[in-house]
Amino acid sequence: MAMKGTGIISGNGDEQRTLVVVFLRGGADGLTLVPPVGNREYYKVRPTLSVPEDELLKLGEANCGLNPAFSGLHQIYRDGGLTVVPAVGSNDDTRSHFYAQDLMEHGGQIAGGWLGRFLRYREGSPPSALSAIALGKAMPEVLRGAPAATVMESMDTFALGSGSGSTAVLQKELGALYGLEENILGPAARDTLEALERVEKLRREDLAPMNGAEYGDNAFSRGLRQTARLVRAKVGLEAVSLDLDGWDSHFAQETLITPLMTRLSDGLAAFHRDLGGLMENVTVVVMTEFGRRVAENSSFGTDHGRGGTMLVMGGSERGNVLGEMPELETGILVGPGDVPVVTDYREVLKPILIRHGAGQSMGDIFPEA
Amino acid sequence: MKKQMSDAVSRRAFLRGAAGVALFATSGCEKVEDWLGMGPDEGPVVPPSGDGIDLISHVLNRVTFGPTPSEYARVKAMAGSGKEAVSAYLEEQLEPDEIEDKRAHRAVRRLEAIHAPLGEMYEYKEAFLLEQLTRATLIRATRSKRQLFEIMAHFWSDHFNIDISKKECRWLKAADDREVIRKHAMGNFSDLVRASALSPAMLWYLDGRENRKRNEDEKPNENYGRELLELHTLGVGGGYTQQDVMEVARCLTGWTVRGKDRFFKGKVEFDSEAHDDGAKLVLGHDIAAGGGEKDLEEVLEIVCGHPSTARHVAQKLCVRFIADEPSEESVDEVAKAFSASGGDIGTILRAVFATGEFLDGARGQKLKRPFEFIVSALRGTRAKVSSEMDLVDYLVRMGHAPFQYPTPDGYPDVASPWTGTLLWRWHFAIGLSRNEVSEKIEVNEEELIEKAGGIEGLASCLLGRVPSVQEKAAMERSGEPLALLLASPGFQWR
Repeated sequence: MAMKGTGIISGNGDEQRTLVVVFLRGGADGLTLVPPVGNREYYKVRPTLSVPEDELLKLGEANCGLNPAFSGLHQIYRDGGLTVVPAVGSNDDTRSHFYAQDLMEHGGQIAGGWLGRFLRYREGSPPSALSAIALGKAMPEVLRGAPAATVMESMDTFALGSGSGSTAVLQKELGALYGLEENILGPAARDTLEALERVEKLRREDLAPMNGAEYGDNAFSRGLRQTARLVRAKVGLEAVSLDLDGWDSHFAQETLITPLMTRLSDGLAAFHRDLGGLMENVTVVVMTEFGRRVAENSSFGTDHGRGGTMLVMGGSERGNVLGEMPELETGILVGPGDVPVVTDYREVLKPILIRHGAGQSMGDIFPEA
Repeated sequence: MKKQMSDAVSRRAFLRGAAGVALFATSGCEKVEDWLGMGPDEGPVVPPSGDGIDLISHVLNRVTFGPTPSEYARVKAMAGSGKEAVSAYLEEQLEPDEIEDKRAHRAVRRLEAIHAPLGEMYEYKEAFLLEQLTRATLIRATRSKRQLFEIMAHFWSDHFNIDISKKECRWLKAADDREVIRKHAMGNFSDLVRASALSPAMLWYLDGRENRKRNEDEKPNENYGRELLELHTLGVGGGYTQQDVMEVARCLTGWTVRGKDRFFKGKVEFDSEAHDDGAKLVLGHDIAAGGGEKDLEEVLEIVCGHPSTARHVAQKLCVRFIADEPSEESVDEVAKAFSASGGDIGTILRAVFATGEFLDGARGQKLKRPFEFIVSALRGTRAKVSSEMDLVDYLVRMGHAPFQYPTPDGYPDVASPWTGTLLWRWHFAIGLSRNEVSEKIEVNEEELIEKAGGIEGLASCLLGRVPSVQEKAAMERSGEPLALLLASPGFQWR
């Protein structure tokens, strides 16, 4: 059902699916986000930083739960819209933020990001002007190599042209000239202008979130709110990249990351509520470059480790825990005492990308996996 | 030719004087920039005057990264008729070594990392090497007078694509660009394939260095063998079988490259212990047992001389220079020249340029890829660029950053994968004409219009034809003729 009085963006019917990738930069502590259940070793090596068992939010019979700060996400889990993946990660063992983020965003030792390759190689019509959006200042590695990607800090700053002066007249004249094109640029330009107009309209209207959703006043929540508006406006959005930084908790971890967990959970819960039934076509993946050392350090923090956490939220998720939390005894831990990687992050992403239309292109998206 | 050289000498003599003056007069700065290769276009500007794209503009669109304002007039003056002028121009471009190119050469020479000997490349940071290589590529495409040569370097970079982010390609791709792609871009196809087969970067990229058979249980790595047949030579459907892929891989076992943790890093060598020395059968040719490292030569001879290779390369060149879907006749003619000349690239290109379809077929119907769009805009506006890296952001957003294509098939050379890039083309067009891309990229719209004798002349220079009634009206109404032109559909095609 096309909106009355507006054009339709080709290759982007109402069934267009949108994948939102939230990257928790800095290496979020998996054992705090998703603490183990009934694990004595955990309490032994984390005298100050463990989550008491009677406080954590249960995930059915799983041997891990959710941090109490994740009450919003827990509700979504119980409604069948969230999958939790403990002990997940990549094969990077440098424990370097830079290398680990790069590897995870690239999906292996390969040019560009897996999300960019997904857009390039997936089946169906070529991506449109606003297929891919990075909410932030710079193009994230995960989107590098996309056939077209737009970086914007906010819709309010997004317009044609890079700086001063209006482009309204130019836009109108370009519309007229491209309207005369009888080749493939004609429809491509119409899509582009239509998307620009829809963004412009959104900006003018500044509609309140739906279904009583309330977003917090922080960059992450604002980004999610923009994303929800763009999804609803049907500008052809297929991929969104959004960061939540600050998880590198070597020192005073609890003070540092508890507010971040609240922000993450509240933001995602508001987004989920805002989109309502549209969540059926939206998947949000939350990932981080690595988890952290099992034992806490002497400054009430934790150091770089291996296995971390992923969360997957969306209408197609059914409320699962994928894989399980490994035992945390010495013989099982890797390197200097880190959670082993039980699940490769690409195995979590693959079925999602298939659902989003990857078709036969998985070998190009993850050639090494 | 002689004349150009003496021009260069006299300019140099003039500049020696000017450099002294520059110390005292700010106007001298421009001359110093000129010395560094960023100077303005000399020569008169004569805008094309046809209603449709004329032959000279068509040829400039196809064999260069887009005409500079004065290039059309220069070519036109080469002979009495358009046809003769084009022929003289193509002959000039087919002999790149004869073309004086000091300005571009000087500008690139300052990028020291890409000129380092192979082993020393490891001393640079990977990001720095990529930056220098990218800058060199942009400088050459924008400023070199050997435009056809640069187009061919671009073409072979896609044909023998190496993703620079894979393993030690980070250090070695710059050497591949220099010793494989650029060294043989206008030479002989067989030499190019041989150089690529033994390129340290290629041995990393397609896992040739892991291809070995030291005992019964070890299975050769087929990655390079497959792409050699599928992409570099015969092409998909070129008549090879999975058995041929395996046999080629067997022939190439033992060729490897030293990694960065060893002495003589980047050195290519043949390890006879890791070579499968049994007899092989490649595409119906017997290769006797015990050939050792000579197996490689036999394989290259078989695949480069195969008729499917002539056709495959001819097909790709026709797609580059003629049309997304060139006619069978054109491909046949070019393939014939390939076979008859034994893969002489100059001869093959002459055959492409001699096809009726190239000369008289549809014009302005190849979509510029993002790199070509940006470079043609810089050339067409004679933009002063003192920071090439400010352009890379746009290339990344349009998915066309040099040496960053992830799969071995190289960036696509047809229109449809690129239609999502219009928004960023418009961004760039507006940014460039408003001097807002970066402080270090400068365009003088007024001067361009003045030199071209008005906005209609400017449009003719950029479009290779007189603008249509609608284009003219749109330019006037927009109040920003240059931005409108660069963003307009006419400028997206070549």
